[in-house]
Amino acid sequence: MPKSMRFAFLSLGAAALLLVVGCSNSPSDDELRKLQELQAQVKQLDEQVTAQQKENAALEKQNAEKNGRLQQCQTDQEAVRKATGGK
Amino acid sequence: MTSRTLALILLLISLLTAVASGQDKMTRDQWQSAMTAATAKVADLQAQLTKLQGDKTALTAQSAKLDADLRACEDALYALLGVSRAEADAFVKELADIEKRVDELQKMGDAELLSHRDELERIQLRLKELSGNKMALIPRFGDKIRSLQEKVAAMLQGLSTEKTYTVGSWSRTHDCLWNIARKKDIYDNAWLWPKIWQANRDKIRDPDVIKPKWVLKVPEKKDLTKEEKAAANRYYRKKAAAPSGE
Repeated sequence: MPKSMRFAFLSLGAAALLLVVGCSNSPSDDELRKLQELQAQVKQLDEQVTAQQKENAALEKQNAEKNGRLQQCQTDQEAVRKATGGK
Repeated sequence: MTSRTLALILLLISLLTAVASGQDKMTRDQWQSAMTAATAKVADLQAQLTKLQGDKTALTAQSAKLDADLRACEDALYALLGVSRAEADAFVKELADIEKRVDELQKMGDAELLSHRDELERIQLRLKELSGNKMALIPRFGDKIRSLQEKVAAMLQGLSTEKTYTVGSWSRTHDCLWNIARKKDIYDNAWLWPKIWQANRDKIRDPDVIKPKWVLKVPEKKDLTKEEKAAANRYYRKKAAAPSGE
């Protein structure tokens, strides 16, 4: 075998070795699928948290309004009691 | 090309392919760190969600309690006043409707408002009746009724007061019927000058002659009547027939 041919085979062998070493350091398809599932779960939970925050904020606002109306009603009661001579 | 050169090119291509295929793939360390981060994020978000759901339960309970308290307070208030809830609701709604209508009427110009004088008088009467309602004992309603009564009274007052204009001297104000009608606060339309002329026939014999300090009646702004148009046409014809320089 000529010297140059031997050199070429050696080079191909080295490249193949590099490929094998590189691939064995990567996660498997199953592991990658697990990561994707976890990331999808993060996204879904994130959306649920945002929706719940909005819902709670609306409830807080509604309660603040109701509280204002209740206080107004109590003030009205006081005033009417005074106006009617505390009956 | 020698076989040695060929072998070198082959080696270079093989090396580049190996490097490139390694570059676009995630390493095991990277995967592990992404898994750890995502797991931590899931745990954090689940904790947040649980807390938010707990908050929602508390807020809903608070809302129900406020509803019950408000209803009890209103019932006690209406009992104090001796009115039913239905009567109270009807009163509140009527007052809100009147307030809205008064706001609309306030935005009208004098001329348009004049055509709603009857409505204003009806509202005034109704507000007087409402002021005698037991619900008016509640200060915010009593105050609202008084405020609306003041607004309606001011509008009616404005309608009943006839507008006047005191003529200034020509040298200072350049007052003539044309210029007076043209003023923004009169008609903002010079062509309506015959209205002022016809409304002040007792003073104005010749529309070209008005005197300083005369107090002229200014009728409400609207199109010229048939009589006013006829008077204006007679005036224009007379001016056209008159020798120039007159």
